[in-house]
Amino acid sequence: MSKKTMTLNLTEAEMAALEALCEKKQMSKTQLVRQAIRLYQKVDERIEDGGKLFFEDEASKEKSEIMML
Amino acid sequence: MSIAKVPDISPISLYDPTAGSAVPAELWDGITDKNLGDWEVEWLPELLSRLRILHGQGVARSKWPQSRLWDWRRKLQAIEGLLANQCFSIVCNDMTQAMMITDLTHRAKLDAKQAAHLVYVEYLETAPWNRKEIIGQEPRLSGCGSIMIRAAIELSKEEGFKGRVGLHSLPQANNFYANQVGMEDLGIDKDYQNLRYFELTSEKAEAYITKGQQP
Repeated sequence: MSKKTMTLNLTEAEMAALEALCEKKQMSKTQLVRQAIRLYQKVDERIEDGGKLFFEDEASKEKSEIMML
Repeated sequence: MSIAKVPDISPISLYDPTAGSAVPAELWDGITDKNLGDWEVEWLPELLSRLRILHGQGVARSKWPQSRLWDWRRKLQAIEGLLANQCFSIVCNDMTQAMMITDLTHRAKLDAKQAAHLVYVEYLETAPWNRKEIIGQEPRLSGCGSIMIRAAIELSKEEGFKGRVGLHSLPQANNFYANQVGMEDLGIDKDYQNLRYFELTSEKAEAYITKGQQP
């Protein structure tokens, strides 16, 4: 599949977070950004279809809703 | 992913057990209208005629191939435009021999604390004439399942998931995933139609690819 190149302008803090995630997930910056877009698109579509995104505390079963853009 | 218009094509080989020889084929990076047409016009009538035989023989419906209920056109429509899903098809002699839909947003259950991503095989089906358990004789072509699993491993590596692959297996395919591919059997998943969940670690994925490259 053909790919396109882009320049991404990040603050120092954003770049540090990206690099930390890459290190943690053992993924390149490109792979991580591609995965982030996939996840964001999927979650966004589910929310548009009327779904809600929650985190659930495993022990207390307490749920907190995540706000999306 | 939407229905692919012009897929990337890679040359592959399938095996014709009757002739005892390899047959040139193609792995398509996508599922096209041509593939869906083959499914509707060629797969479904063949499957129906086999189901008629099973029904006539009094075989319980629970033993019929569960993929008979899969509607590939509807499945493709459901993931229209989603980057999370990547599709593949295998074409040989101008006929679709297998199709697969993967999802790249699942996480590994083995070593769950790492929360590592993997390629999850959502649907994988080979044409009815390539399935021994349906036709009761040698398949017309064999090797589709192995090639699809290899494609899933390669995709996993390309996306930084280190070759990890996961799937819920239909009962007819449990043996293939456990013993031929070498996936870990994590048992029956009560949250997913009581199907067995299998996962391929990066080490086992590498071993599987290496095994396939041996002469």
